[in-house]
Amino acid sequence: MKERILSCVRRALEHRPSPVLPDPLTLPSLSREEAVALFTERLSGNGGEVVRLPDLKGSREWLEGFAQSFSGAAVSRMVPPVLYPALPALPPEEAPLGISWAIGAVAETGTVLLSSREGRRTQLLPPTHLVFVPEETLYATLLEALQALKGDLPSAIGLHSGPSKSADIGQVMVRGVHGPGRLVAALIAELSD
Amino acid sequence: MRVRANEYPKESARVIREEPHVRESVTGATLNFDAKRRAAYAEVDSEQWRHFAEDVKNHVLMNLEHYLEQAATALERSGVRVHWAEDAEAAQRIVAALVREKGVRRAVKAKTMISEELGINPLLEGLGVNVLETDLGEYIIQLLEQPPSHIVGPAIHLSLEQIRRLFHERFGTPLDAAPDTLAAAARKLLRQGFLEADLGISGANFVVAETGTLVLIENEGNIRLSTSAPRLHLALVGIEKLLPRFSDLSVFLSLTARAATGQRLGTFVSLIQGPRRPDEIDGPEEVHVVFVDNGRSSVLADDEAWETLRCVRCAACLNACPVYRQTGGHAYGYVYSGPIGAVLSPGLVGLENTKPLPYASSLCGACFQACPVRIPIPKLLLTWRHRAVEEGLTPRFEKAAIKGYALAMTQPWAYRLASKALRLLPEKALDNTVVPVLQAWVEGRAGLKPSSKSFRELWEEGL
Ligand code: SF4
Repeated sequence: MKERILSCVRRALEHRPSPVLPDPLTLPSLSREEAVALFTERLSGNGGEVVRLPDLKGSREWLEGFAQSFSGAAVSRMVPPVLYPALPALPPEEAPLGISWAIGAVAETGTVLLSSREGRRTQLLPPTHLVFVPEETLYATLLEALQALKGDLPSAIGLHSGPSKSADIGQVMVRGVHGPGRLVAALIAELSD
Repeated sequence: MRVRANEYPKESARVIREEPHVRESVTGATLNFDAKRRAAYAEVDSEQWRHFAEDVKNHVLMNLEHYLEQAATALERSGVRVHWAEDAEAAQRIVAALVREKGVRRAVKAKTMISEELGINPLLEGLGVNVLETDLGEYIIQLLEQPPSHIVGPAIHLSLEQIRRLFHERFGTPLDAAPDTLAAAARKLLRQGFLEADLGISGANFVVAETGTLVLIENEGNIRLSTSAPRLHLALVGIEKLLPRFSDLSVFLSLTARAATGQRLGTFVSLIQGPRRPDEIDGPEEVHVVFVDNGRSSVLADDEAWETLRCVRCAACLNACPVYRQTGGHAYGYVYSGPIGAVLSPGLVGLENTKPLPYASSLCGACFQACPVRIPIPKLLLTWRHRAVEEGLTPRFEKAAIKGYALAMTQPWAYRLASKALRLLPEKALDNTVVPVLQAWVEGRAGLKPSSKSFRELWEEGL
């Protein structure tokens, strides 16, 4: 069957000219501060939340406060142990909070990049999704992010740019259909203390 | 799916006459989408992006054999099982074999137009598989046993009231329930569905040949769940969906989102390289990709219509179209509706089965302006119209009417005579006309009322 389809394609293309493949379109890059500002603006605009934390210690302190309103959490195995909240560990199917460690983020689109290596259910099932993002992996543009990821692709990458939403019911925007209804990105400025 | 496109004129007149709320819902939704699309285009150098996207797609299509081979090799390298389907029956056989071999009982589906094209739902149901559409809009129309009426918003022809009534009957939600409440009811049921399903079925927005990546764009999270939770993932992919390089996604993902919904990126994008790896804790054990031809290679061989294969199914042309807005998608009688349906369907299922569709346009050109991959839809509408005439597919009265029109337009005496005759018709004579072409017109519209004086006479009187 493969051969049949490919030969139909080959026949269709006989004597047809091949146009050149254009070089990728690049957008100007940004400084770290500009990228943080743009990421914050764009993800907030998409309905997500952004906090900026100085380092792991500062992140730990912030997490203690943040975690208080939850009864348990599913934490990805990529999250460093210092950022495990003082909450009962629950499977993603039951946890009100899922915590991820991003493999990158994109300022241009307000996006966090998530790897299947940490487990996909944690990223999708809990109603609130907290994602830690080391600032050194914040890229200005989607192109930069894709180029950085290309060498080491896991079986799946999820690009999340806000809470799950739908306008399928009478054109009214509803949040939290299927995926998390709340996305919080916590940028960590410096990983090493 | 069955093609009912030849009934377009009748069906559109019926929708307009009998279901006036469809026009209202569809117009509201598409104008909203279109305004967002314009704003999102204005934010970037959209002209440059559209040219880039067009050039990349042209390059892929003109080297399709190479890229299909490259994609298949890359997919297989990461453990994906690649299948090839010449037509709908072949695709159905592949799906049926998988269902039997793997003992599939329950399937969840992430919105995919190609599965409508291939008739996958009826097939699965016939095999005793419980099938759940998981996109909220798709789920709603599945409950109503309707096909999608729009590529991106399959249920945009339904009003909030209709959906409230449906959910009230099915799930006992109050008749005045807020959309949040309705969505929560659906979510609960569908969440169970994701966790119990053996098989997740998706399409793909793109397949990157270089890396063997399946790319899926969405807003709800149902596609991520359908491709993550069940033990099997099956993706049905048209052979035209390829992109050469991973980096091409930067423009294609953003441009598609801007064109479709005015977003900079879909809320969730999945980049899938294959089944779960030994060191991963979840994800499907098997990923199957079916590359589907089903008429595409003959469209590719067509030296004009091939350009429709650039389509990324963003629906921007539907949203921009003043004709689509009047009826929504069902009237078009095939899975692809609106301007793209009018130029793609004749290529995929034959002009003889779709001949009214190229006429479902005022040739205003709004679809081309909106299209992210610059498909010359107005030009192609004319191509199909010419072919319909050449192949003798146009009705006889139309030829007679055009002949009469040509006479009236080239001979002043004939023109004057004809316009006088029309003005002398008794009032309402045109409402119950027996002339077929006028009959089709008045069926869905108010009667024609010629003015009592001709333009010439008015002009001579100084207007
Ligand atoms: S023809 Fe263009 S505008 Fe219409 S759906 Fe396809 S890509 Fe979008």
